[in-house]
Amino acid sequence: MSHTSNLRELRRQDTDRVMSFLGRFSVHIALIIFSLCCLTPLLLIISASFTDEIALTRNGYSLIPSQFSTEAYDLIFKNPRAILQSYAITIFITVVGTTIAVTIMSLLAYALSRKEFVLRKPLSFFVFFTMLFNGGIVPYYILMTQYLRVQDTIFALLLPYFVVVFYVLILRTYFAALPEELFDAARVDGAGEWRIFFSIVLPLAKPALATIGLFTALNYWNDWTTSLYFIRDSNLYPLQYLLYIIQSNAQAMQLQSAVGNITVGEVPTQTARMAMAVLATGPAALFFLFFQRYLIRGVTLGSFK
Amino acid sequence: MHTIFQKRKVVQVVLLAIALCLTFSWSPKASVMAQEDLPRLVYIYPGGAQEDLALVQEAMSAYMAERIGATIELRPIEWGAYNDQIGLINASGEPYDIAFTAPWINNYYTNVTEEYFIPLDDLLAEYAPNYWASMTPETWEAARVGGSIYGAINQQIFVKPFGPYIRTDILEAVGLVEEFEALTSYEDLAPILAAVQEYADQDDVLTQATYNLAPLNVAENWGYDPIAVDLVVDTTDATAQVQIYSQTEAYRTASQLIRDWYLAGYAPSDVAVWDEMDAAWTAGLYAVRVSDIVKPGGNAEVAARWGWEVTSVAIAEPVLTTAGVIATLNGVSYTSEHPELAVAFLELLNSDPVFYNMLSKGLEGVHWEWADQDAKLIRPANGAASFADTGYNPNTDWMFGNVFNAYYTDVTQVGAWEATAELNRNARPSPILGFTFDGSAVETELASVSAVLQEFGNPLGSGLVDVDEGIARLQEELQNAGIEVVRAEMQRQIDEWLAAKAE
Repeated sequence: MSHTSNLRELRRQDTDRVMSFLGRFSVHIALIIFSLCCLTPLLLIISASFTDEIALTRNGYSLIPSQFSTEAYDLIFKNPRAILQSYAITIFITVVGTTIAVTIMSLLAYALSRKEFVLRKPLSFFVFFTMLFNGGIVPYYILMTQYLRVQDTIFALLLPYFVVVFYVLILRTYFAALPEELFDAARVDGAGEWRIFFSIVLPLAKPALATIGLFTALNYWNDWTTSLYFIRDSNLYPLQYLLYIIQSNAQAMQLQSAVGNITVGEVPTQTARMAMAVLATGPAALFFLFFQRYLIRGVTLGSFK
Repeated sequence: MHTIFQKRKVVQVVLLAIALCLTFSWSPKASVMAQEDLPRLVYIYPGGAQEDLALVQEAMSAYMAERIGATIELRPIEWGAYNDQIGLINASGEPYDIAFTAPWINNYYTNVTEEYFIPLDDLLAEYAPNYWASMTPETWEAARVGGSIYGAINQQIFVKPFGPYIRTDILEAVGLVEEFEALTSYEDLAPILAAVQEYADQDDVLTQATYNLAPLNVAENWGYDPIAVDLVVDTTDATAQVQIYSQTEAYRTASQLIRDWYLAGYAPSDVAVWDEMDAAWTAGLYAVRVSDIVKPGGNAEVAARWGWEVTSVAIAEPVLTTAGVIATLNGVSYTSEHPELAVAFLELLNSDPVFYNMLSKGLEGVHWEWADQDAKLIRPANGAASFADTGYNPNTDWMFGNVFNAYYTDVTQVGAWEATAELNRNARPSPILGFTFDGSAVETELASVSAVLQEFGNPLGSGLVDVDEGIARLQEELQNAGIEVVRAEMQRQIDEWLAAKAE
């Protein structure tokens, strides 16, 4: 190799390096801006929750509290029953609901993935049909309240996410990709269907189950519409619904004042509402960090054959 | 442990309830059917959870059982969830008997069009004679839709005598008490605002005289009855000609005042959202609400809500309008198995102060006690610091029935109901009292006009634009949006309605 070509090669590598650095740099800048857009509102809420009420009203929101105060938290923890109760409800429905939902969905998806299953076609149709067509909110309400009669019970909060068809679809695709030979081998060794499912399929499907589990858990954690429709008993308010109610009650108050009625003191102060939001989202954010690696792996799940 | 505690509490509640029923019974009848065998009415209304709801419900049931032979189940729904839940209940045909309704929540007109409520004319006359007679026929007219009454009107303040409110401490500090109390027009408010602003400039907490000038522009302030969007009728005009409010001299005057005051720095440039304004008022950043409903006993309500003693003076002439009369209603559901009992329940709520105050104030000796029985003044029971601490304080008297039967909770309110009733009685009825506009034929135009008002009307309401230019621009845009089409349709409906009424 001649000296000049060597040099040219080096120069080319240099340009490559610069280009790749520039590329990476611009991507990083874009991502940093995007993260800031996501983080700033969160930081504003945290800052506002630690600001003195009057100072907040006078100076507006800022990233650093204009006048530090823990009054909002003191107020909430003076009577923490509502928030603790709703934490308990939310954690309960998230844990129990996710466990049941993942069990039901993986059983269903597995059955649908097995080619030798006789009812595979009609059952698939039955399940996936609901993805495209549904009766809408009123029939849903009638089913829940007049047939199942679950309104104002914990079941109303659990039932709706037991089977999410899209997740069944993901699971079924994953199960279908497992080599048929595995099942044959297991069968030769004398394993029954249940044994195959629990000892072979489930361990192999861990990433898929973790992903679906995470999605389902987030669904349960973030759900407030189910409570909006079916829950009147304030002892059963999940966290997100409690937050929703606090905010929307404040808005409804505005309506009544428009007709000349004044209802005294039910609206918590701004800082108290911010503190509630922090208390409600904080643990969920940690939970998310913890499960993040599963989520990232789960995103790549879509790429299999 | 928790459940045991609850069980014991339930027992306590029941025992207390029974004891209370005995104290409350005025005319105990010998043959009282067992309560379980009586029909149970369901009453749905917006309200937060109340610790002692079951206690009140038991007491009310016992009281009702003797008088109308029915019991009651109270079913409050959170304010923020009320529209959604009652909508689903209605649409799904879930049975209930009575629900709170109004044009502003659980929309009355939607309920009527969807036939979720039954007509009440005959039922009211037969099963609620006292209630029916307690209001004039003109008043009942307001609740009529397509010839029938579908909502039972809660008697309260029907008129909207708008006027300014000012914090008493600031008013005294600037030494203009007499001038304020003698106000007869908004123009005369200017020197007071100027004085307050001067005071605010030197004060640490008070930042500006006022925070929102837009209410000055409300049509009721200037003797007009607003029907829909920007269309109004002059309440002194018996022929009820529909006018575009933003073309009137009153609108120009109001907008000019707003503009002048905004330029003078009496109000902030960015109009805050409602709950922030609320917080700001509580925090003491502002001293004046330029225009709000001034009602007897209103100062005490404002003081309780925002923590400042206030002085107010009514400027607008009180006018009886449809919107004012039907601001709070109770409807009877199409699913009700006992509509006659539901109406009898409404009769009790509206004509029996004892029963009505059970629902709105709780139980004597448990939630409240007499401070002065002759004046009908109560205070929190058993030395509780406030009614909010007693375990039952829905604080929505106006939702349940005739507020003139409510016990006073503040000594400054004593006599307010008589004064309010007097205001209602003496108010000039709008020429279109009882008329409701059906906008279904001009929905597109209504939507465009609303959008134009948002975009070009709101800046005028905040004083952000020059008045002449702003109004000219607004008129042009309103014409383009098709306001004349809406006006023509509205005039046609009003003329028909007037002709039908004259027959």
